[in-house]
Amino acid sequence: MAGHREEHGSHVHGEHSHSDRFYWLVAGVLAVVTALEIGLFIINEQHLIAKWLEVTLLLILSTIKGAAVVMFFMHLKGDAGIFKFVFLVPLAFATTLFLSFMVLFSDHVGIAG
Amino acid sequence: MAIAERPAETVSLPRVNVRPGWAGWLSTTDHKRIGIMYLVSAFVFFLIGGIEALLMRIQLGTPDNTFLTPDVYNQMFTMHGTTMIFLGLMPLNVGLGNYMVPLMIGARDMAFPRLNALSIWLFIFGGLMLYVSFFVGGAPNVGWFAYAPLTQKQFSPTAGVDYWIVGIGLTGVASIAGALNFIVTILNMRAPGMTLNRMPLFVWMQLIVAFILIFAFPVLTVATIQLLFDRHFGTRFFLPNLGGDAVLWQHLFWFFGHPEVYILILPTMGIISEVLPTFSRKPIFGYAFVAYSGVAIGFLGFLVWAHHMFAVGLGPLANAFFGAASFLIAVPTGVKIFNWLATMWQGSLNLTTSMLYAISFIGMFVIGGISGITLASPPINVQQTDSYYVVAHMHYVLFGGAIQGIFAGIFYWFPKMTGRMLDERLGKWQFWLMLISFNLTFFPMHLSGNAGMPRRIYTYEADMGWGLWNLISTIGSLLLAVAFLIFLWNVLTSLRRGPIAPADPWDGATLEWAVSSPPPVYNFAVTPRVRSRRPLWDEKYPHLVNGSHEAPTARPRSPLHDGFEREIPAVMEPIHLPSPTYAPLIVSVGITILGFGIIYLGDFGLIAASAMLVGLLIMAAGIFSWVRISHIDSPHHAHHGV
Amino acid sequence: MSESSMTRPRAAAVHHTSLGVDNRKLGVWAFIGSETLFFATLITTYFVFAPVNRMRPDFQDPRKFLDIELTTVLASILLASSLTMVLALSAIKRGDRRWFTTWLLATVGLGLAFIGGQAYEFNHLYHEGLTLSSSLFGTTFFVLTGFHGTHVAIGVIWLLSVFFKVRAYPDSPENPMDVEIAGLYWHFVDLVWVAIFVLVYLI
Repeated sequence: MAGHREEHGSHVHGEHSHSDRFYWLVAGVLAVVTALEIGLFIINEQHLIAKWLEVTLLLILSTIKGAAVVMFFMHLKGDAGIFKFVFLVPLAFATTLFLSFMVLFSDHVGIAG
Repeated sequence: MAIAERPAETVSLPRVNVRPGWAGWLSTTDHKRIGIMYLVSAFVFFLIGGIEALLMRIQLGTPDNTFLTPDVYNQMFTMHGTTMIFLGLMPLNVGLGNYMVPLMIGARDMAFPRLNALSIWLFIFGGLMLYVSFFVGGAPNVGWFAYAPLTQKQFSPTAGVDYWIVGIGLTGVASIAGALNFIVTILNMRAPGMTLNRMPLFVWMQLIVAFILIFAFPVLTVATIQLLFDRHFGTRFFLPNLGGDAVLWQHLFWFFGHPEVYILILPTMGIISEVLPTFSRKPIFGYAFVAYSGVAIGFLGFLVWAHHMFAVGLGPLANAFFGAASFLIAVPTGVKIFNWLATMWQGSLNLTTSMLYAISFIGMFVIGGISGITLASPPINVQQTDSYYVVAHMHYVLFGGAIQGIFAGIFYWFPKMTGRMLDERLGKWQFWLMLISFNLTFFPMHLSGNAGMPRRIYTYEADMGWGLWNLISTIGSLLLAVAFLIFLWNVLTSLRRGPIAPADPWDGATLEWAVSSPPPVYNFAVTPRVRSRRPLWDEKYPHLVNGSHEAPTARPRSPLHDGFEREIPAVMEPIHLPSPTYAPLIVSVGITILGFGIIYLGDFGLIAASAMLVGLLIMAAGIFSWVRISHIDSPHHAHHGV
Repeated sequence: MSESSMTRPRAAAVHHTSLGVDNRKLGVWAFIGSETLFFATLITTYFVFAPVNRMRPDFQDPRKFLDIELTTVLASILLASSLTMVLALSAIKRGDRRWFTTWLLATVGLGLAFIGGQAYEFNHLYHEGLTLSSSLFGTTFFVLTGFHGTHVAIGVIWLLSVFFKVRAYPDSPENPMDVEIAGLYWHFVDLVWVAIFVLVYLI
C-alpha cells in the first residue's frame, strides 16, 4: 500500500492515447496470436509435441494476449502507478490463490484429506 | 478552532440542503450521518448478538439444562457468530471510519457519497434479511463458518442457510462498495500536504483493511454462490458423495475468514494508535513501524488460512508451512505492542475512560495473542481445536481486543460526533465492570476447554467436571450485560444532558479536532494545509516541535507570511456538497427483493422469478435517478449553473 | 492559526485530487482488482475438480463436449468488441460523436452476439447431456462460464446506460470519463475470456 509515488498535481487524461491505427494494429496482433493458439490446439490433436510443451506455449501466447489488452486497450502502460498497484497486487494474490490450491489439492483425488 | 469559524467572511458557505426529519436520514449522502447510521444500526445488531450469547450462557450455566432446545441452541450460536462479525464489529469499525476518515484527512466527504449511502442501506437490509429467517422456518443453524456438507439441502432443509447466504451476500456487496470508497477517499482526497506518511494511523489501518476486504470478500462470495447452487440447482461442489469436496469449502471459507479477523482487529489497532498518544501527551513511538507492521499483518493474513484446518489432516508439509506463517504474524503484532508501550513510557498519562480502554486493549489482546500462538502449533492445535480454549482465545482477541478498542474510539470521538461529552464517572464504572466481568466470562473457558469441553454443545453432564467454570462464565456474562446497560444509559442521558463538548476536548493532534463539535455539514470551510503528522499540536505548541519528525526550520508563522498563500485570489470558490437523494435507497430495496427471489427460486420458480423481475425493475428505476442526480451534481454542471 | 493554514478550495473545473487521477477511474480499477479474485476463485475451483472428474464413473470429457469452432467465434467476437470499445473511447475523446455512436453500438452488438452465442452453446451442451448436475465438469463449467456471461450482460447494460447518458447530456465534460470507465470494465470482461478460452477450452 505504500511505496508508490505521490503524484500531486493534475494528470492530463488522454496523454497516453494512441492513434486509431495503433489500436487496429494491436487487434491484428491479437487475432494472429489467437489463430496461433487455435492452430496449435488443432495440430497437436495428433500429439506432435508433448502435452506439457503445448500447455506452456498456449499459456505464453494467452499471456501475450492478456498483456496486450491490459497495456494498450486499458491503457495501463504509461498510466498512473496507482492503477498498476490496485490491479497487479490482486492479480498476484489471485495467482497465489490458484497455485496454492493446486498444491494443496495435488496429491489426492476426491475427498481431500 | 479557527478553521471552522474564521472563513465566513472569505468563502460563501454552501447552501445546507438537508431534508428535515426522517427524510433527511433516508436521503442523506453525508458521510457523518451515514457513519452515525452505521454505528447505531451496528450497535443494535450487536446488542441482539449479545442477547443470543446470554441465552447460550444461561443454557450452559448448569449441567443438563433444558432452557434451550438443541435446535434453538444451534441457531443461537450461528446467529451470534454471524451477527457479531458481519453485523456488529465490522460495521462499528466502518461507522467510525466513515465519520472520522474524511475529517482526519481534511476532506469534505467520501469520494462517492451516493455509493456510501448504498453501502449503509445494503448493510441494514442484509442484516434484517438474516433475521427474517427466524420467522420463516428457522434461522441458520450450521455455525458461522457453515461447514459443508452440513449446509446441504438434505441436512439443512429449512431456508435458514439460504437466508444466511443472501444476507451475507448483501452485506458483502455493501462491504466491497464501502472498501472501494475508503480506498479512493484515502488515496485521492487528502488535503494538500497530507502525504501517506503523515496520515493518522487510524486512516492507515482503514486503508489496509479496505484492501484486505476487496481481496478477501470475492472468495467468500464465490463459495457461497457455489453453496447456493448446490442447494438449489443440482451442482455438487461440496457434496463428497458425488465427487464434490467438503474440504474445498473450508479452504475457500478460511481464505476469506482469516483475513476477516484482521478486518475486525486492524481498525481498532488504529483507534488505540490515536488514543494512546493523545492521552499520553506524546507522539506515537515509531509511527512508520506501526503503519508498516499493519501492512505486514494484512499481507501475512492471506497466507495462514489453513491454521483453522489443522484437524483436517492436510499433511506435514502444509501443516508446517501454515504453522510457521502463523507464528510469523506474531512479529509485526509484537512490534505494534511495543510501540504502544513505548508511546506511554514517560508520557503524562491522562486516564480517561477512552485511555483505560486503550490500555486494557493492550493487556487483553496480548493474552489472546499468546493463546493464539499456542494454537498456531499444529500438534497443540489438534488437541485444542473445537474446544472452549478456542472460544476463549477468540473472545480475548475480538472482545478484549476489538470491542474494547471500539469503546476507546467511541469514548474518544463521541464528543466530536454529538457535541456532548459522555459521563466519565459512568464510563469508568462501565470500564471496570466490563474488564472484570469479561475476564470472569472468558478466562474460565481456557480451563473448561483444556478439561475437554467441546464447542457448540448445547449441554453437558454433571460428572464431566465443567460445571464450576461454566457457572462462573455465565455469571460473568450477566455482569457484562450490566456493563452494556450502563453504557446505553450513559449515551442516552449524555445526548440530552451531557456537558457541551468543545471542538477539541482532549487536546488532540489530528485534524478532526480542528472543526467544531459536531462538525459542520461541509467539514472544513477552507481545506487545511498539512505540514506534519500532528498539525494541531504543532499549531498549539510551536515551542515543542522537536517531537516532530520534521525540523521546524523556516516554518511560516501565519498564512499571510506564506508565499503560497499570498497568491490566493480574492474570489473563493463556493463549496459544493452532494445533494440528498433517495436513489441509493431505491437501488438497495431492489437488490433486496432480488435477493428474496434468489432464496426461493429453487422452490417456487415462477413466483420467485417474478419477484426478481420486480426487484430488477426497482433497481433500474433507482439507477436511472442515480445517473440523473449524479449528472446534475457533478462539479462541472454545478460550476456552470452558478 | 499558524500551522494549519488554509488554501482555498480548488476551482471545481481543476478537479484536484491527491494522486492526480480521477476518483471514479481509481474506483473502477480497484473494483477490477476485486473481480480478479472473484474469477480466480471460480477458475481455481474448476481446476481443483478437473482431475477428480476424470476419475469418476460419470466422467464427462471436456474435449468431447466443447466445440473449437464455436469457441473460436466467441473469442473473436469479444476481442473484436475490445477493439470497437477502444475506438469508441478514442472517438469521444476527440469529440467525434458520429463515430463514437457507431463504435459504441458496435460494441453493444458484439456483446449481445457473444451472449447469444453462449446461449446457443449452453443449449447445445444441454441437449448433448451436459448439465449442472451431470458431472463435476458440468458443475464447474456452467458456473464459471455462466458468471462470465452474466458479467458480459452487465457490461452491455453499462454500455447502453453510458450511450443514453451521452445522448441526454451531450455537452457534459464527464462523458469521456464515463466511456473510459465503462470501457475498462468491458476490457476486463474480455480479459477474463482470454483466460477462460485457454484454460478451459484449449488446455
